Amino acid sequence: AHPVIDNGPPKKNSGRGSGGGRGGGRNAEPPPMPMSSPLMGKKKKPFLGMAAPLGYVPGLGRGATGFTTRSDIGPARDANDPVDDRHAPPGQRTVGDKMKKNQEDDEEDLNDTNYDEFNGYAGSLFSSGPYEKDDEEADAIYAALDKRMDERRKERRELREKDEIEKYRMERPKIQQQFSDLKRKLSGMSDEEWLSIPEVGDARNKRQRNPRYEKLTPVPDSFFSKHLTTGDKHTTVDPLQGVSNLNLPGGLESPYPGGMTPGLMTPGTGELDMRKIGQARNTLMDMRLSQVSDSVSGQTVVDPKGYLTDLNSMIPTHGGDISDIKKARLLLKSVRETNPHHPPAWIASARLEEVTGKLQVARNLIMKGTEMCPKSEDVWLEAARLQPGDTAKAVVAQAVRHLPGSVRIYIRAAELETDVRAKKRVLRKALENVSKSVRLWKTAVELEEPEDARIMLSRASHTTLPSLWLALARLETYENARRVLNKARENIPTDRHIWITAAKLEEANGNTQMVEKIVDRAITSLGANGVEINREQWIQDAEECDKAGSVATCQAVIRAVIGIGIEEEDCKHTWMEDAESCVSHGALECARAIYAHALQMFPSKKSVWLRAAYFEKNHGTRESLEALLQRAVAHCPKAEVLWLMGAKSKWLAEDVPAARSILALAFQANPNSEEIWLAAVKLESENNEYERARRLLAKARSSAPTARVFMKSVKLEWVLGNIEAAHELCTEALKHYEDFPKLWMMRGQIEEQSEHNEKAREAYNQGLKKCPHSMSLWLLLSRLEERVGQLTRARSILEKSRLKNPQSPDLWLESVRLEFRAGLKNIANTLMAKALQECPNSGILWAEAVFLEARPQRKTKSVDALKKCEHDPHVLLAVAKLFWSERKITKAREWFLRTVKIEPDLGDAWALFYKFEMQHGTEEQQEEVRKRCENAEPRHGELWCAESKHVLYWQKKIGEILTQVASKIKNTF
Amino acid sequence: MSYMLPHLHNGWQVDQAILSEEDRALVIRFGHDWDPTCMKMDEVLYSIAEKVKNFAVIYLVDITEVPDFNKIYELYDPCTVMFFFRNKHIMIDLGTGNNNKINWTMEDKQEMIDIVETIYRGARKGRGLVVFPKDYSTKYSY
Repeated sequence: AHPVIDNGPPKKNSGRGSGGGRGGGRNAEPPPMPMSSPLMGKKKKPFLGMAAPLGYVPGLGRGATGFTTRSDIGPARDANDPVDDRHAPPGQRTVGDKMKKNQEDDEEDLNDTNYDEFNGYAGSLFSSGPYEKDDEEADAIYAALDKRMDERRKERRELREKDEIEKYRMERPKIQQQFSDLKRKLSGMSDEEWLSIPEVGDARNKRQRNPRYEKLTPVPDSFFSKHLTTGDKHTTVDPLQGVSNLNLPGGLESPYPGGMTPGLMTPGTGELDMRKIGQARNTLMDMRLSQVSDSVSGQTVVDPKGYLTDLNSMIPTHGGDISDIKKARLLLKSVRETNPHHPPAWIASARLEEVTGKLQVARNLIMKGTEMCPKSEDVWLEAARLQPGDTAKAVVAQAVRHLPGSVRIYIRAAELETDVRAKKRVLRKALENVSKSVRLWKTAVELEEPEDARIMLSRASHTTLPSLWLALARLETYENARRVLNKARENIPTDRHIWITAAKLEEANGNTQMVEKIVDRAITSLGANGVEINREQWIQDAEECDKAGSVATCQAVIRAVIGIGIEEEDCKHTWMEDAESCVSHGALECARAIYAHALQMFPSKKSVWLRAAYFEKNHGTRESLEALLQRAVAHCPKAEVLWLMGAKSKWLAEDVPAARSILALAFQANPNSEEIWLAAVKLESENNEYERARRLLAKARSSAPTARVFMKSVKLEWVLGNIEAAHELCTEALKHYEDFPKLWMMRGQIEEQSEHNEKAREAYNQGLKKCPHSMSLWLLLSRLEERVGQLTRARSILEKSRLKNPQSPDLWLESVRLEFRAGLKNIANTLMAKALQECPNSGILWAEAVFLEARPQRKTKSVDALKKCEHDPHVLLAVAKLFWSERKITKAREWFLRTVKIEPDLGDAWALFYKFEMQHGTEEQQEEVRKRCENAEPRHGELWCAESKHVLYWQKKIGEILTQVASKIKNTF
Repeated sequence: MSYMLPHLHNGWQVDQAILSEEDRALVIRFGHDWDPTCMKMDEVLYSIAEKVKNFAVIYLVDITEVPDFNKIYELYDPCTVMFFFRNKHIMIDLGTGNNNKINWTMEDKQEMIDIVETIYRGARKGRGLVVFPKDYSTKYSY
C-alpha cells in the first residue's frame, strides 16, 4: 500500500455565489494549479485547474442524464434531479430541464389551488412587501428566542458533538494520527540515520519523467509554393540598380545599399519565392564582389589619374558595351573641360575613340591636346603614334620645336624614319641638342659602322659619361684602349669602373702584375678625389670580374678592398659572411680570395681554416684542398678535424700510405687523441690490415683507454669473427666502463648471435641496471623477448621502460609495433592514441600513426601530423610514402626531396627515395639520388642502421648499403 | 498512485472533460484518494494509463469535493468507475446486474485494459451498452 499524499482539496472559488451576473467569465484569480500530471503530457487539457464559471450547474452543460438502480440505499433522489427514464419525453429528461421546471415552480403561485389548509400558502405571502420597523422588531424577538433556546442545552450538545467527532476520528483517523506511533520513534533517530534516508526516486520510466517539449518545425517550402499561386507580387533585386547605388561615393561604406532592401528584407507576407530569394542572394553576392574589386582597383576613389587609368584598362575589356563607352566618353569629356591642361585626359580620350574605331576623332582630339598641353611629352608621343606616316613626322618636328630636350621624342623621330641615313641624320641632330643622353649615343653608335662609331665616340669623349668611354675602349685595340682609358680617367677621375676596366684590360693582355698596381692606384686616386670606397659595390664588381673570367682582377680587387671600413674585431665575422655570399652568388674565385686573405690575417684561427677547408672540399679540387689542409695543420696542429680531413682526402684518393703518414704526423701533434686513434684504426681496418688495426687498438687501449676505444676494439673482434676475443675484451671494458650502454648492447648482441638467449638477456638486464635510460638497450631486450615468443614479457619490459623514461617516443613506438606485429590492431591503436597524448610532437609516432589508420583516413591523419610537426623528416617521409601509395608520382617525388633536404642524415628517407626512383624514375634520377646520398653520408634511420651496423656489412660503402636497404623495402602500404 | 493521474476538481471540469474528448473513451473514477479501495483501483488505473492512452483517458474525481454527481450517478460506493464516450455514458454488462459502472476494485491490469478496450470498440460502433465476455457476478458480490 502506498502512503496517501493528501493533495488537499483545492480552494473553492471564494467568489462563488457572491456578486451578480451569471456567466461572468472566469475568476480573475486562478485557483492554485494542481500537480500537473505527466500523463497528460504534451496535450494538457485547458480546463484542468480552472475554476467553474459562476453559477455553473454541473451536468447542465452537457445534458447529463442519471439513473436509479439502488433506491434501497441512500437518500431518494431529489425532486429536481433528472428522471431515471432515459427515454423520457423532452423537457423532463436532463438536469437543465429539471431546473427550468424548478424555476417555474419557484414563482409564487398564490392562487387557491396552491392553498393548503394546514400549511397555508406554499410560499411566503409577504416576501414581496417592504421590510419595516415592526418587522425588524419582530425579527429581533425571534432571534432572542432562538438564542435562548440554543443556550439551554449548549453544553450537552457540544459534548455530544465532541464525542461524535472522536468517534468519527476513530473510524477514519487522520493520516497524521495514523503515523503518530511511528513518529514517536523519530526522537531516537541519530544524525547518521537522518542523513542516510534514501532519496525518493522517480519510479516512472524515462519518457514519463521527461515530458517532451514543444517542437518547432520550419514551414515547408510546399506551403509557400501553395500560397504563391494566390498572387505573384514579389519584388526582385535589380543588379543594375544595386550597381548604380554602389557607384555613389557613399555606397562603398554601407554593405547593403538602400536600393535593395525593399526587395530583400521585406517580402510580402505569404508571397515568398525560395528560388527568387536564392537569386537575390546571388545578385547581392555579385554586387559585393564587384564592389570589393572596385575598391581594389580604386575606381570609387575620386582620383583623376587612377580613375583614368582604370577607364583605360576598362575600355578594351568591355568593348562591346555601348552604354559603358558612352558613360566613359561623357566622363572624359567632363575631365577635359574641367582641366584642359591635364595631359592624361587627352590621351585617355584619344585612346577611347581609337578603341571604338573612330580614328579620325581620336586624331583630332590628340591634336587639340597637343595645343592645350604643348609641354607634355606623352601627348606628343601619343599624337605621333596616332597619326599616319608623314603627318607623324610633322607632328614630331613640331614636338621637337616645343621640347628640344626630350630624348624620347628624338628616339621616336628616328624610329619614324625608314631610311638609315635619315635616321642617322636625326640622331646626330639630336646629339647636338642633347649631348649627355647615353641612350641617344647608344642608338646612334649602334647604327654606325665600327670605324664611324669610334670617331663618333671620340667626339663624344669630351663628355663626362663613363659608359661612353668604356664603350669606346671596348671598340679600340689594346694600345688605343689604354690611351682612351687614361684619357677617360683624366676626364672622370671619380669613376671606379674605368679603373676596373683598365685592370681587366691589362689582365686580358697578360699583364697580370699590372693588375695589382692598377687596383692599388685606383684606390688611392679615388680616395684622393674624395670618392668614398663602398665595399659592397667593389665586391660586387669583383664578382662580376670573376664571372667575366678576370680572376686576377677579381683577386686584386678583393685584396685591396676587403679590409676597408671594417672594425678590427668585426673582420673575421664580416669576411666569413662575404665569402659565403660570394659562394652563394657563384663567385668562387672571390670567395677563395677572401678566404686566402682571411687566412693570411688569422693564420692561427681554427674556424677560419675549417671554413676554408669546407669551401675547398665542396667547390675546389682535391689538390687545392690538400694543399690548404697542409698549410692548415702547419698553423693549427691541434685541430684534429683538419688532420682527419687531410687523411680522409688522401684515403679517398686511394693514397693509403700518405693517409697513414698524415695520421702519424697527427699523432705527433696530438698524442693520445681518441679521434685520431680511431681514425687510424678505421683506416687500417677498411684497408683489410686487421693486424695493424689490432695493434693500434691495443696501443690505444694502453695509452688512451676510453670507452669508445674499447667499443671499437670489441667491434673489430666481433666483425672479424673472433667471438672469444670479443667476449674477453667486452668483459674487460665493462670493468672500466660499466655505465656505457653500447658495450652492454654489444655483449648482448654477441650472445644473441651465438644463440645464447639466456646470456643475452642477462647482459641486457645487467646493462639496464647500470644505464636505465638507454632506449636502445630496452628495445633490444624487448625484441629479444618477442623473438623467443615471450610476448607478455616484452610488453611488460616496454611498460617498465616507459615508466622509467617518460615521454620517449621510441619506446612508445616499439610498444605500438609490438602489438601490431602480434596482430592486436585494436590495442595498437589505443596505445598509439596514448602515445600521441604523451608525446604530441613526436614525428616518428605521427608517421607511424598515419599508417596505422585505415586507408581512407590516412590523408586526414597525415594533415594532422603535418600540423603537429611541420618540419619533422619522418612525417614528411610518411606523406611522401602516402603519395607514393596513391601513385601521385610527382607529388611523392617533391615530398621525398623535401624530406632529404630537411634531414640529409636520415638514411631511411634516402633508401625509400631510391626505391621510389627505381620504380618510377629514370636512370638519371636514380643515379642522382644515389650520388646525393653518397655525398650526404646518412648515418641514421631505422632501416638504414639495421643494414649499416650489421656485422656482415661493416665494410660496405654508402652506395651499396643504399641499394641493399632499398631492396629490402617492400611496398606494403 | 492517485497523484500521478489527473484530477477534476469541480463539476465544470468534469463536464468539460467529458465534452472535450473527441475520439477517446473517458474513464472516470469517483471516490476518495485516501480510500483503500480507491487506492488499489488507482494503482491499476495508473499502471494501465500509459498503455491505453491512445484510446482512453483516465480522470479521478473526489466525490466530497465534487458532490454534484453523487445523486444522478448514485455514487455511494467507496470507489466507482464510469465510462463515457463523446458525451455519452457507456454501459457495460459485466454480469453483475449493474451495467452503469464498476464499483469494485479490479486487480488484474490486463482485465482492466480489456474492459476499457471493449468499451472503446463498442462505443465507436455507436453502442450504448457493451458486453464484456467475462462474468464478475460470482467474484464480486455486493
